[in-house]
Formats: sequence, C-alpha cells, structure tokens
Amino acid sequence: MARLSFFIGLLALASLASVQAAELPDAIKQAGALHLTVNSTYAPMEYRDPASNELTGLDIDLANELAKRLNVKIVWSETAFAELIPALQTKRADFIISGISDRTSRRETADFVDYLVTGPQFFVLAENEAKVATDLCGKKIGTTRSTSFPAEIEKWSKQACESAGKPAAQYVPGENSIDVRNQLKQGRIDAAVQGSETLPYAQAQETGKYRIVGEPISIGYQGIMFRKDDATFRETIASELKAMIADGTYKVILDKWGLGANAVREPLLNAAPQ
Amino acid sequence: MKTPLVAIRKVSKSFGEFQALRQVSLDIWPGEVVCLIGQSGSGKTTLLRCVNQLTSIDSGGIWLDGELLGLRERGGRLHRLNEVEIARQRLKCGMVFQRFNLFPHMTALENVIEGPVQVQKRKASEAKLEAMELLRRVGLAEKANSYPSQLSGGQQQRVAIARALAMKPELVLFDEPTSALDPELVGEVLAVMKELATSGMTMLVVTHELGFAREVADRVVYMDQGAIVEAGPAKDLLTAPREARTRAFLAAEV
Amino acid sequence: MSNAPALAEGFPDLSSLKVAREPHWGRWLTAIVILAIVAAIGRAFAQGQIEWSYVGRFLTAPVIVQGIVNTMVMAVLAMALGILLGIVVAIMRLSPNPVLKSVASGYTWLFRGTPLILQLLLWFNLALVFPTIGIPGVWTARAVDLMTPFLAALLGLGINQGAYTSEVMRAGLLSVDIGQYEAAQAIGMGRLQALRRIVLPQAMRVVLPPLGNEFIGLVKATSLASVIQYPEVLHNAENIYYANSRVIELLIVAGLWYLLVVSILTPLQMLLERRFARGIARGGR
Repeated sequence: MARLSFFIGLLALASLASVQAAELPDAIKQAGALHLTVNSTYAPMEYRDPASNELTGLDIDLANELAKRLNVKIVWSETAFAELIPALQTKRADFIISGISDRTSRRETADFVDYLVTGPQFFVLAENEAKVATDLCGKKIGTTRSTSFPAEIEKWSKQACESAGKPAAQYVPGENSIDVRNQLKQGRIDAAVQGSETLPYAQAQETGKYRIVGEPISIGYQGIMFRKDDATFRETIASELKAMIADGTYKVILDKWGLGANAVREPLLNAAPQ
Repeated sequence: MKTPLVAIRKVSKSFGEFQALRQVSLDIWPGEVVCLIGQSGSGKTTLLRCVNQLTSIDSGGIWLDGELLGLRERGGRLHRLNEVEIARQRLKCGMVFQRFNLFPHMTALENVIEGPVQVQKRKASEAKLEAMELLRRVGLAEKANSYPSQLSGGQQQRVAIARALAMKPELVLFDEPTSALDPELVGEVLAVMKELATSGMTMLVVTHELGFAREVADRVVYMDQGAIVEAGPAKDLLTAPREARTRAFLAAEV
Repeated sequence: MSNAPALAEGFPDLSSLKVAREPHWGRWLTAIVILAIVAAIGRAFAQGQIEWSYVGRFLTAPVIVQGIVNTMVMAVLAMALGILLGIVVAIMRLSPNPVLKSVASGYTWLFRGTPLILQLLLWFNLALVFPTIGIPGVWTARAVDLMTPFLAALLGLGINQGAYTSEVMRAGLLSVDIGQYEAAQAIGMGRLQALRRIVLPQAMRVVLPPLGNEFIGLVKATSLASVIQYPEVLHNAENIYYANSRVIELLIVAGLWYLLVVSILTPLQMLLERRFARGIARGGR
C-alpha cells in the first residue's frame, strides 16, 4: 500500500514537474515577466489611448490575460512595425503579439500561432461613389508600405481588374495607418486598404466618415509570432489560448473591441495560406 | 558772376556724441585744386565724403553745380532725396579712396569700364577704347588685363584714378590717396594727380603730402576739430600761416 | 685673419653629430591597440548575423540605384532653391527697410526653429489646411495634385535650407569690405546694383566653402523625405526590407551609398575651400 501511494505520489510529482517544465523558458521564469514589444499605432489592436495615453488594445488585453494565467508580469515596449521582427530575432521580445499577419515569407525565421481572422479590406470616404470592389479598378489605392498589403493590392488588381480588361489599381504608399487615412481625407488617394480588424474602430472614431467597400480581398490570420527554436514555449501559449477560447474569455475580449466576427475556433499553427 | 562748382554752407555732422563738422562753409571753384589738411579727427575726410554723399549731413547744405545735394526744399521743409536720385547726383563726382577699393574680381580694364557700362549704360566697345586711353594716361596701359592682386599699391591707385575719370566727372575727390602706399610708390601717384591738375580738373584732396599741396594746390584749407581754421592760397598758407594752430600743425608735420 | 666673431672657450663642437631618430614607442603601442580594436570590430561584424550576400545582391539593384539618383537630384535642386532664397533673404536682412528686415528675420526664425521632418510633413499634408490652391477665378488646383512627394520634399528641404543659407550669405556679405560698396556707390551704383555686380560676387568666394559643407549635409537630410514617400535611397531600401525582413542588410546597402557619395564630395569640398578660402585677398578669378 505504501509502495503504491509512493508510486502514485511520484507519478503525480512527475506529471506536475513535466507540466511545470513545459511552462516557461528560464529567462522568463527568472525575470518573472514577459518582455513584449508592440507597434502601438494600430488601433484597436495596440495603441495609446488619446485621453489617458495608456497602452491599450485587443492584443494588450489578450496578452494580459495570457500573462495572468502564466503568473507573470508583462514589461511592455514600443517600436516601429518594421522593427517587430528584428526585436523577436534579437530576443528583445519573447514573442510578438502586435497585429502582425501570419505570412509564408515570414515563416523562414518564425512560427505563428494564429489567433484572429483578418484580411485586407477596402474602405473609402462616405461620399465616394464606389459600390463594389471593382469600382476601384484604375483608382489610387493607398496603404501602409511596411505591411504585406501593397502586395495584396497588386494581386487583387491582377485578378479582379486587369484580367477583366479594367485598368490596374494604382498603389500609393503611406507611412502608417494614420498617414493613409490622412491621404484619403485629402483626396490624394481614392481608397485605402487596412486590416479588417481596424475598421470598426476607425468608423467608431469618426462616425459616418468612412464606408467599407466589398469583402476582404483575402483571408488571413493575425498570429502570435515565435522564434523557430521556441517550440515548447509556443505550445504553452497556444494551449493557454485554447483554454481562453474554451472558457469564453477570448470571445469577451474580442466583443469588447467589436471584433467578435473575427474569432478563430481554435488557435492554428502557421495556417495562413499566403 | 561765376558760381562755385561746390558751395558748402554751414554744414554740420555728428556721429553720436562726436561732432565731426561744425557749421563748415567753403567754396570750390571750377578748375581749382584744393587741399584739405589737418590732424585725423579734424573733419576733413568727413567733409570730403559729404560732397559725394557717402556721409549724409545733419544740417546746412551742399550745392554741386548749382544743385542742392541729397535734399529737396519744399514749402520751407527739407525732404531727403531717394536712393536713385542720390546715385544720379554722385555721377558728377569721382572719388579716389585711401585703400584704392578696386574690384578684386575684375581686371584693371574691367574696373575702369564698370561704371560707364553698368551705370551710364554706354556701349562696352566704346567704353573699352576710352578706358585704354585713360590707362595709358596713368601709365598702365600694359596692365589692362591684370587683376588688382597682381598690381602694386601705386599701380592700383592709378587704376582707381582712371576708374574715377572714366565717369567723366566734374570734380574728383581724393581721400588721402597716398597714405596707404609704400614711400617709393607715392611719387607715381602724385605724378598722375599733378597731370590731372594741370589738365584743368577740379580736385578736392585730403592729404598729408604737404609737398604736393605746395606744388600743385591752388588753395589749402586747414581744419581742426570740425571747423575750418584757416584757408588761403597754398604757397601763402604753407609758408606763412596766419593762425597759431596752423603754424603748430605745420611744424609738427615736417 | 677671418672676420668671424671671437668665441669663448668651453663649448664642444657638435656640428659633426647627427640627431638620432626617436623610436616613438608610445605611438606604435597606440597604433597596435587601435588596429586590434578595429580588427575585433571587423571580425564581430563578419561573424555577426548579417547575411552579406543580401548586401551584395541589393547594392546595385535598379531600385536602389534609382534611389540614390533621386537623392542626388533632390539634394542639388533643394540646394539651388536654398541658395536662391538665402541670397534674397540675406539682402532683405541687410536692407535699411525695417519691413523687409523683419520678414527676413521671421523667415529665418520660423524655418530654423522647427525640425526639418516636421516641415516636410506639413508641406506634404498641406491639403488638410488648404484643399485647393490658386487664384480664384484665374487658376485653381487641388493641393494634393500639386503637392506631390517630389514637390513637398523640394519645398521642405529647399525652404529649410534657405534659412540656414541666408545666415551664411549674410556673413559673406558682411565680410566684404565696406570700401567695396562705397567704391561702387562712388561710380553711381544704387544699392541693389552694387550688391549684384560688386559685393555678391566677392561674397560668393567666402561663402562657397561653407555652402559646400551645407550641401553635404543636405544630401544626408534628403533621407527624411522618405516619410513623405519621396523615393530616395533610404525609402527604397526600406521597401525592400519591409518585404524580405533583411533590415540590417538593406540599411547597410543604403549606408554604403551615402558613404560613397559623401566620400566623393568631401575632397571636392576641400578643394573648393582651398581655392576660395583666401579668395578676397588673392583676388583674381
């Protein structure tokens, strides 16, 4: 009897230990904190609240929930979008949750845990006459040049415009999403492309100013980005995320930001088609 | 009744606290060579510069060829002339500076034709012919294409005299023309000035060269502390001055 | 007997001895240390996580070469605008007219008092303030059609440069001996004519060296125009690394091009300085 209970005890201890071992990398355990960096110009995913100047957003909420479940704090830092991937590679960040799309071109040096459905979406000023996406053929379309959207626009233009005998869309670069909306307001561009996750917020900010045209021109995912050699850690985060989806916390957070429709049923690994 | 070429009436000028000219009056007659002598600070250079309006006067009047300089009288009040009118009035005077002030980025010839071509709008070819003649007159025809930096001080000053003459002035003002020259170069400049005087040009010369004054000047004017102390025929004033101050100055200058 | 002066006894004759060369141990040691540090840095870079193949591949990529061409075009045009404005503003600043003087001071204060990047952003987004530009009834245009990245960059860089150039020009104009101006007046020239024919040409010799320096700075400042989408070399390098994530490699590519341009311009600038620095005293061309 004693031997059995001893054996069960050992087993329990072992399983506990193995679960614990799978939890967190040493550096994070020692620091008791996750180091995360975001490009905080991307409402509603991560941005500074204009009134309080606090870092806020859907990614912030998701990360905070994850950290709570893992019993660690988060040390936040901010950087330009183009610096996110270098931040991950140089280990300045433990993982990237910053409205970054899962793309094959990025999977050379990273893996993605996809957590949000997204897709580039056309929108115009409310008074613009465009009704369907093909109305934008031959027009000037702007987007942030440091994203994957310029390539998306070109692909869409080939498929939807040029192959139908319509003039190609003209891509106009912008420095960030605010710059792009500025150019739209000034009339430098006729339409803009942003991730579909940003549009409910933009519309809420300036009610009646913008109008979405058509469906997202491709479906993709926002992913939490991990270094290739961080597979165990990645699995940990993925399972926590799965738990959050299962118990409804995930949906609550998404609904808070008006993005309930962009939910995934479960976290996916490197699932984006492009 | 002849009119003086230059009539200076009760001209005063201060620079801040310092009174450079006190109610100075003087006539310069056509063809005259008048030398202004005196210590530095006596006002002689200021007076000279008032004649071609490089310095503006505070009160009084200067008439050049019968025309009031720098001012217009209207209804008992005096109004300053504008820049364009003043520039036009300056055309009647030529000026030779102590430091020559040749334009360093132009050759001697170009220096001399600059005024005739740019200001008097004369044809360059014409101006060049006249300029060469003037350079010949001052003994520098072969230096026509030299730059000021390639010329000695005496040569530069002679080019400056040619430059002043090119404008065909009615009178030439000299501001201590030889003071900045090495002693061995003074003679060549004085020779040119002497030739100019002989040819009948009206000249007002501020100078320390008493030998020149004695030889060439018709009248000498001695100034001290902004006023004319004594004025008279050159030979008389220089050999037998009437005023004690003049005597003291001349004694010190020798 | 010779005429040499008499000499006292007791001083040896050293005239046949040579002075020994100093070994300069200190200098050798410093040199070795510095070389070692440089070698270590070089080795770190060589072994660092830089994919030098990308640097080689993109160094002469058409879009990069086009970028550096655009950089130089903008630098030259903006400098020309800056010199033009600088001369005008300097003359205004030295004018007896108090209105002109104030306007000139105001311009210099405004455009030296705000960062260049801010000015570029304002020019580019001008349409937010003035949707249309023009003379009502005669000609109007949409500001966005007019204010292309090229024009916004040219205006931003040129007008900003003008504020700095005007100070250089002012110093240059003041450096010309006042006697030159008086001599010009003495032959009947008005103020502007004297400036144009006599003073300015002489001032140019004095200002050419510092202007050369300003130009080299401007070449690098054009990189700021990347944020208003002017396709100069940094902007184009960024576009490449936005697509392939090779941030350091592409920045090195852009950096090498800037280094090349500046390395060519700097000795030219020094030549300029030597030719013109004593221009006033030397006279001549």
